Amino acid sequence: MKRRFVCVGGDVDSVLCFQDWVVSKFGRVLPVLQLRCQKGSKARTVKYDPSKYCHNIRRLDRTDPDETLSVTQLTWQVEGGDDDISKRRRGEFPPYEPIKPKKSRTDPGDSLNAFSRSRSERAQNADRNTEVHQLTNGSDLPTNRRAAQKEDRWFLDSDVDSDEEVRSLAAAQQSSHDALQQEAEDDDNLEVVGLDYLVKSGPNEDEEDYDSAGTDELFDSRRNPPAPPQEKPSSPTAKQFSDKKRQMKRKTTPGDVSSSKNSSSLQRENPAGVRPAMKHSSDSHSDEDDEEEEGNSSDSSSDFDFPALFSANSNHLRISLADLQRLAEGKVPSILGSGLKPESGFPVRHARKEAITPDEILASILGEDSSSDDKEHKKKKKKAEGVTSASLQPSEETGLETSQTDGCLRRKREHEQDEAAGSERQKHGETSEPLNDPQTNSSSGSEEDEEEEEKMISVEDQPSSSSSSEEEEQEAGAAPHPAPAAGSKTSSSEEEEEEEAEEEVAPPRVALAAKEEEELQRKANMRRLAALQQRQKEAEEHQKLIQGALANLEAPHPATGKRIVFGSDDEEEKQEVVSAVKESKKPLFQDSQSEDEATADGAAAANQNAPHKAERLKPSGPQLFADSEDDEEGGEEEDGSRFDIRPEFEGPAGQKLMELQSRFGTDERFRMDSRFLEDEEEEEETEVQKSLMEDEEALEEEKKKNLSILQRVLGTGQQASGKTAGKAKQFRDVSALHYDPSKEEHAAFETKTEETKKESKAARRKKREEAQKLPEVSKEIYFQVSGDLKAVFGQTNDGSAEGEEGANWDKVEEEEGGGEEEQLPPSLLSADPSSKSEESSGFRFSFFGDDSVAGSGETAEYKAEKMKAPKVSWHQDPRFHDSSSEEEEVEEDEEDGQEEKKEEQSSVEAKNTKEETPSQPDFFFFSSDDHRLKEGPKLFCRTSQLAEQREQWEESTSTLRQEYRKKHRDARRKLNISRKT
Amino acid sequence: MRPLTEEETKTMFEKLSKYIGENIKLLVDRPDGTYCFRLHQDRVYYMSEKILKLATNFSRDKLISVGTCFGKFTKTKKFRLHITALDFLAPYAKFKVWVKPGAEQSFLYGNHVLKSGLGRITENTMQYQGVVVYSMADVPLGFGVAAKSTQECRRVDPMSIVVFHQADVGEFIRSEDTLT
Repeated sequence: MKRRFVCVGGDVDSVLCFQDWVVSKFGRVLPVLQLRCQKGSKARTVKYDPSKYCHNIRRLDRTDPDETLSVTQLTWQVEGGDDDISKRRRGEFPPYEPIKPKKSRTDPGDSLNAFSRSRSERAQNADRNTEVHQLTNGSDLPTNRRAAQKEDRWFLDSDVDSDEEVRSLAAAQQSSHDALQQEAEDDDNLEVVGLDYLVKSGPNEDEEDYDSAGTDELFDSRRNPPAPPQEKPSSPTAKQFSDKKRQMKRKTTPGDVSSSKNSSSLQRENPAGVRPAMKHSSDSHSDEDDEEEEGNSSDSSSDFDFPALFSANSNHLRISLADLQRLAEGKVPSILGSGLKPESGFPVRHARKEAITPDEILASILGEDSSSDDKEHKKKKKKAEGVTSASLQPSEETGLETSQTDGCLRRKREHEQDEAAGSERQKHGETSEPLNDPQTNSSSGSEEDEEEEEKMISVEDQPSSSSSSEEEEQEAGAAPHPAPAAGSKTSSSEEEEEEEAEEEVAPPRVALAAKEEEELQRKANMRRLAALQQRQKEAEEHQKLIQGALANLEAPHPATGKRIVFGSDDEEEKQEVVSAVKESKKPLFQDSQSEDEATADGAAAANQNAPHKAERLKPSGPQLFADSEDDEEGGEEEDGSRFDIRPEFEGPAGQKLMELQSRFGTDERFRMDSRFLEDEEEEEETEVQKSLMEDEEALEEEKKKNLSILQRVLGTGQQASGKTAGKAKQFRDVSALHYDPSKEEHAAFETKTEETKKESKAARRKKREEAQKLPEVSKEIYFQVSGDLKAVFGQTNDGSAEGEEGANWDKVEEEEGGGEEEQLPPSLLSADPSSKSEESSGFRFSFFGDDSVAGSGETAEYKAEKMKAPKVSWHQDPRFHDSSSEEEEVEEDEEDGQEEKKEEQSSVEAKNTKEETPSQPDFFFFSSDDHRLKEGPKLFCRTSQLAEQREQWEESTSTLRQEYRKKHRDARRKLNISRKT
Repeated sequence: MRPLTEEETKTMFEKLSKYIGENIKLLVDRPDGTYCFRLHQDRVYYMSEKILKLATNFSRDKLISVGTCFGKFTKTKKFRLHITALDFLAPYAKFKVWVKPGAEQSFLYGNHVLKSGLGRITENTMQYQGVVVYSMADVPLGFGVAAKSTQECRRVDPMSIVVFHQADVGEFIRSEDTLT
């Protein structure tokens, strides 16, 4: 059966076409696919029978010896040649070379940056180099270093960049290595100091290092480069400098409409767009030009319509080239319109065209150089004047733009008029006038002149007059350019100066210019100073006006006269009032000042005069009553004394009185005399003092409160000493006194660490030492105990069968007890008596030669010798561990306090922490017939004589040794055999 | 301007004690005069009683600062210590950290102190202990919180932070608008 299976989903390319399917191994059904295979241009459908490919597994023959390969051959090789990259790909790295740390260390900041850079680079290369993985925080630094160095070298070597870059990188990385190494060193040298650390203040070298370059220096350094180029003589800019360029510049230069004090200063402040090479002399030129313009402008300024000019300012800003062209072509658009801007881009053309006119020819005939020179000088002078006046004018007028544009407009008008006038004006002298007509302010005028001059230089054939007129046009056109460029005088001044600079280049001019420049400079300076002075005067006047106005503020309202004045003579009253007010004013002030010293009540001062003059209660307003006249008559004499403070009003009580008085007004009936003074001045003082005291108390309370809170916070007992008497440390106001560690006195400021900890350590050490020492067992106790126990001891002995054994045991061991004493470890000494005592139902044995005990036969039996207590836990017999005995021995804790510690060391001791105090004949846990008593000593005591045991032991030792040796040898043999095999 | 409540005093003392420990006592209780803490517009000022009395003459909205500003309480009533308190903390500091000249500038710009910039540290400094940061010439630069204990400082790598920056004297320039 054939079925068609359609593949659902998947890409279009993967749609498989089934036609057949095959049954393969194990009953699997596999479709035979017809795949599209595209080999280049061919597109074939390949039949793919899966069954043929699924089971193509060959059995690997593992037993084939020929196929065993060594490990090194189990790899693949990257071919590539012998360059570094391919070498490293193959795994062949250059030998490790430790980089020697340089002593000169670069700036740590840079080194860190380099380090970080190199780190990032390493991170990028992490894939290639496994060593990079070691560069993690927390790994050992030396390995880091090595890895970093390796990688650095790798990085360096693989750098395909120029050698210089490589070197710089290497330097950076080395410095970073240095930083690393030094950091590593610093880690080791990290200084850890105690709390009482005193820095030994070394020489204060660091302060000098930290001085940053003054901002002034920075600014100077920045200024200087641009400044000198500006002052260089202008390169002989090509005379072909089209005005188009200038126009562009004018349009693009930022509009600095700030009042120009000095064109030179403006020039310097301009951005780099300014052409370099502006000399100071050029400024003078501009000044000269301005002056010329100024002088001439005054002549024809009357005809201008200023308001129109003003109103037309905005329009001037929107000059377009088209307008200029129109102008250049001779069209005369309205002044208020788009403006006259004869395109100055065709200065040369214009000039040359115009040369045809007879006047121009005349001019040329008359002498270009000389005349032009003269003209130039004149122009320069006038320009200078113009500049200074321009600088003056801004001080007078705020609208420089308007003035400039005015000048432009005026110029235009002039030019227009000139043109309209025709040839009449085209005389030498007159042409100069229109040139100079433009005004004072207009540096644009100077521009025009400069342009004229320039053209005169560039085109020597140009007759000055006609050309100048046209140049005027052009300049007039050019003049408004700065206006559109935001009326920047700066731009115009720039261009002026540029032109002037160009002019200067002309050799013949230079010599003459210098002297004139100086003179002009002086004049300009004078004018500038004059302008400054004028400004100052104006400012002072302004201030005076203000002061006057303020002073007149209190001049009240008599002038305004809101109040209706009734009286026979209104004028008189007014005058009186005014005068009175004036009088009162001053004394008011005086008295108020004096009173202010006594009291702080200004209001009272104002009312001080009330008692004097009833009508003068209120300084403002005319008096309603006619009493003023009466008082006025005799008032002049008393004026001086009128306004003195009355005696009754002095002092704080008087102050109160005055206030009271003010409340009642100036009615004579209610005048406050001295009788009304309060007699409580003293009380007041006491009150004041009381309040002070209260304040202080409040503060004290607060202080205590704070201290209490502090105690709680810190949790330590702080002594709330009221006046800090007897304190080791004295507080001194830090702001007044600067802590200087080198001073011995200031050591008091430092906190001192408590040495209790150390003491405790010492104490602990001592304790330990003591503990380690052999506790001297006080024999007295034993005596006592043993004494008490004797009776008890004896009783039990009789009944126990151990007695004999014990006697034997005791006797035997008496002899050897002394010998064995030394053998026993000291720590166990204490244990022995205790252990034994426990075993024997609380009996105490004195093993240290207790004669008294030995004396009694009964006790002598139990004067047991020391036995080697089991050192190890498993030596002990668990039967001996009697927990019940431990409970009783609380009384003897103190005695055994030291012993306990050693007992704890060995488990035996742990068992026998306490000794019993069997002072009582009654046995708590032992009965007389306790089997433990019987069996205990059995295990405890020797069963046979020591000598016999010794002999036996000696015999056995030899045999034992032999056996051991045999076993050793056998074991060795076996080992050897096994190794061989 | 008002005195601090108990809660506020407690909070403030806790903060101060992190830096100077029990020496707060010397601030509270001075032999040369009575000094007190006052709260004004969430800022705590430390002043003598004389100044305090003078300051009471001003209205609250007109008063900008009195005495020395120690710090301020945040909206959540936590106390934050300002650099202006350095003069009073520095001489009583219990745990000090000295910073190398290279890292000094970095700290003064407001960065944390790295291990590589650490010159010296008082022993037994616990982690998150308040420390006062000095230059190698023993000029107090500011204060911070120890990010690592002294022992850890020895072991840690040079690029890790050892002192968290809290305040430095560079703030007098950087944030002079907000300092009072």
